[in-house]
Amino acid sequence: MAERFRYLSAEWAQEAGRRLQADLTPEKMKHLTSSMLTVYTDCPDGLERAVYYRVVEGVVEEVSLHERELPEAEFTITAGYDTFARISRAELKARAALMSGKMTLRGNLVKALRLAPVVDRLNEVLSTIPTEY
Amino acid sequence: MVESDHPQDDPFFIDFPERIGRLQAAMAEGGVDVYLGSRLRTLSWTLDAFCPWRSFIVVPPHGLPTALTFVIDAARVADDSWLDEDHVLGYGPMGGQDQVSLLKDLLEPHLSGGKGVVGIETGMGTYLPEGHLTHLEYQYLAAALPDARFSNAHDIVDRLSLVADEGTVNRFREASRIVDMGHQAVYRAIQDGGYEGMTETEIAGLAAYAMRKEGSEWEWSFTGGNEIASGYRTGLAAGACTPASRRALRRGEPLMVDLHAMFKLGLGDHAHNYLLGEATQRQRWHAQNFVDTVQLCLENYRAGVTPSSLADAVLDFCEEQGFAEYMVPGFEHGIGMMGDEWRIGLNEGPFPYWTDPEHEYQAGELLICAMQYACPEEEIGFRYENPILITGSGCKTLSEFPLSVDEV
Repeated sequence: MAERFRYLSAEWAQEAGRRLQADLTPEKMKHLTSSMLTVYTDCPDGLERAVYYRVVEGVVEEVSLHERELPEAEFTITAGYDTFARISRAELKARAALMSGKMTLRGNLVKALRLAPVVDRLNEVLSTIPTEY
Repeated sequence: MVESDHPQDDPFFIDFPERIGRLQAAMAEGGVDVYLGSRLRTLSWTLDAFCPWRSFIVVPPHGLPTALTFVIDAARVADDSWLDEDHVLGYGPMGGQDQVSLLKDLLEPHLSGGKGVVGIETGMGTYLPEGHLTHLEYQYLAAALPDARFSNAHDIVDRLSLVADEGTVNRFREASRIVDMGHQAVYRAIQDGGYEGMTETEIAGLAAYAMRKEGSEWEWSFTGGNEIASGYRTGLAAGACTPASRRALRRGEPLMVDLHAMFKLGLGDHAHNYLLGEATQRQRWHAQNFVDTVQLCLENYRAGVTPSSLADAVLDFCEEQGFAEYMVPGFEHGIGMMGDEWRIGLNEGPFPYWTDPEHEYQAGELLICAMQYACPEEEIGFRYENPILITGSGCKTLSEFPLSVDEV
């Protein structure tokens, strides 16, 4: 049976970085340079956690976990742990979460909409990680 | 006039950073920590872009302002504006991206500890697209920034935009030249009986086509674009608003052609009048009354006169000549970059948000000389509109189409 990773664990982040680098070519990522922070509120242990993604010229150079001091990013997406988990399990579309207010976005909306397909590709890779929620 | 590649040599150049600097200095003087503009006139005056959707501009005490508009139009507004895409943001129905959340994010950093004064634009107006902050927007913002004080501050922008700079005047001059081309196209189309079989909407359309060919961006008036009236519609009692109808033009009737063109947010607005076919002596009498009155009015505009003193002079003449009952007693309306279309001067008159009848014109003010002659019982009327620039010794009409009532 394939190894399973606990959601938002250091192992999960490491596996996420590995898969993103392996599966997403700079062409697929449109040679994008940007940064994104996903902030998970109401984690099962009551804490708030964040995953920071740094993409340079279409290469995912960093996937890191943060608990207290959160790094600055071009885009910050905030939602409850359960919302992110449902998105990861493909039970909820990210767009629907945004449109219903379950998820909030900070950053330039025009740029964000232009990058939405790229983020979808990134999320698609993340959804392939065998994960325990 | 030709646009230049070198901004300073461009006759239509406006120094927007300098405008923002003057606005920020006036904010500091007035104790406003951050300014939230929502009126269309403020958006045009600060952004140099047309904002057809609900939009805002947040002007901090120092540095560049940031505009906020409906996301479907944000990239276009940024493309047209002197501000870059990081200072023209889009809002939409998404978490954190709705108007109130984004405005809170933009305003809050300039309110120390959440406290301070937010200058807002509220009021009332006859002009529907004015864009005052709505009651609900105010309630939401007040809830989002509970320690902030919201203070009505539109006078700051009104005062700064009262006298037009050279680039603005040149934009109005070019828009007026374009309108003149529209009038020429209408004249060519209707002369020698060409009007037979035409409708008011057709006149509006052919003028629009001619003006667009000359570079007009749109027939900007919210009164239906180009206003065309024929027959009894020219003489509606106390009327001065006639969106074109499907009415056919008829021999023996008057025709009023009120054209609007926009060039870089500068507005052309000129009305010209015709008598279709051979006119009667009575129609000619009405026409002469109208032309004489417009002429007199234009001769009276200069720095130092007021709407009230001007009205006295013109109406006295109409009374002496025996046609006072046909002149609609108001001879101008305000004008500025797109969205500034109603009140003359500042909000200082006896009736809030109406023209102050004692406003003293200054050299450099732009306004629309707007006169309406209406005789409903004889189904005849005429309209004159023309942007004028007040000077120390008189006024300069920007549209140069000759003043007359032409028989065609």
